Amino acid sequence: MLKVENLHATVGDKEILKGINLEVKAGEVHAIMGPNGSGKSTLASVLAGNEKFTVTEGKVEFEGEDLLKLPIEERALKGLFLGFQYPVEIPGVTMANFMKIAVNEQRKYRGLEPLTAAEYLKMMREKSAIVELDSKLTSRAVNEGFSGGEKKKNEIFQMAMLNPKLAILDETDSGLDIDALRIVATGVTRLKTPENATVVITHYQRLLDYIVPDYVHVLYKGRIIYTGDKSLALKLEKEGYDWLINEYEK
Amino acid sequence: MTTERIIEQLGAAPLADDGNITGGVWWLALTDDRDVVVRREARATLVVVDGVGAHDMNVDIMAGAQLRILHVVTEHSASQIAVAVAEGASCRVTEIVVAASDTRIVASLMERGARFELGGAFILTDEDKASVAVDVNHLAEECTSNTSYKGVASGRSHGSFSGLVYVAPGAQRTDSVQSSRNITIGDARIETLPQLEIYADDVKCSHGATVGQMDGDAVLYMRQRGLDLTTAKRLQIEGFVGDVILHSAVEGVEELLSELVAGKLNRL
Repeated sequence: MLKVENLHATVGDKEILKGINLEVKAGEVHAIMGPNGSGKSTLASVLAGNEKFTVTEGKVEFEGEDLLKLPIEERALKGLFLGFQYPVEIPGVTMANFMKIAVNEQRKYRGLEPLTAAEYLKMMREKSAIVELDSKLTSRAVNEGFSGGEKKKNEIFQMAMLNPKLAILDETDSGLDIDALRIVATGVTRLKTPENATVVITHYQRLLDYIVPDYVHVLYKGRIIYTGDKSLALKLEKEGYDWLINEYEK
Repeated sequence: MTTERIIEQLGAAPLADDGNITGGVWWLALTDDRDVVVRREARATLVVVDGVGAHDMNVDIMAGAQLRILHVVTEHSASQIAVAVAEGASCRVTEIVVAASDTRIVASLMERGARFELGGAFILTDEDKASVAVDVNHLAEECTSNTSYKGVASGRSHGSFSGLVYVAPGAQRTDSVQSSRNITIGDARIETLPQLEIYADDVKCSHGATVGQMDGDAVLYMRQRGLDLTTAKRLQIEGFVGDVILHSAVEGVEELLSELVAGKLNRL
């Protein structure tokens, strides 16, 4: 589904990604961990197409297509979803209206008719239940006045609405209390199918108790320096990154 | 014309020449200078549509009356609407400006407990030049006013907002809020000049003004959900001015107002 080869990216004149290699297949869950400043969020942004970053080298294939030549919205329409670490507030634009446009843009892209009002309402009700999102929130402006937990639930709600092939969740667990974490993580798990894939970027092993990864990658100084299975996350939780970094620096 | 449909939807009748209002919903095409009187304790709504040219309107709102005004500027016009609000009376205004024009609202809170509220937006495109002024005079004790104006300008247009809050000596326990928020796109310019003149010592007055560009993060967020750049920008602007419509003083015509705004936003 996703094939990243030797990806280098800069912001300004600072190189942040220094040769990432990563392959994600349908049905898989990948976790990306690593110390602060290692490039985790940059990787997510570059894959999503954030124009703040410049790709200087490397290739990214998504569903057999060159992802890097596509603008942000086309990547989204092709089924790439980014759960934002800091979801943005959009005053005056209701969640319901925003998602209606987004869902219908996607349907248009797939050659489908727009949803009727009734179909859309039904879909919203079903999908908001997945993350126990208060239905009142959908009539409020996007993320405006949402609590930290509501914002993150709202990201997963949008993921449910858009049904992406590949979801990249950038620290969706940060700032969540234990209940919100459970709800968000359970939501993600419920959305998992053999046809889609998830990449979760996280600092904490606790998220991985719910979302069990097939692979755990450690990102350090812009490179994946180690890949293991879910037991790696537990070991990292206990022992930190130093043993890996020391080995790598040698 | 959207304004005609607004009038129809509200079931408004043309205001008689004597300008006397005891209640009900009325509309007025401002093509001459006009005087309007809202009688004591009346509850009324008035839709004012500016005609081409320069025209003044004076509105007297008598004690205890409540007037809602919807002021729509879709033509090249220069208008001044002066509202005098008596004891315990209130005036709530929604103003939408979508054409090159010069408008001024002067609200005078004449007696104790008078209230004035205004939510406005101007949207300018191409070569439009518009100036909007809101002067609020607090002339008595315990009056409140709240002015919130949004401006959007694109192309080579130029907008200006000037807001004055004057608090007369002795107008104690005045409560006044004024805000002016603006977004410019491309080479367009917006100036905003909020002013306070306070001659009483027991008052609560706040004002704020901003002129900014589009919020790049919000646009990125929307594009990540599959909206193209134009749609994302458009939606952001719609939301920005939509606030004014959402809190419109004249209920029931929000959709038509949105349509009026959307028509103009198509030209951004």
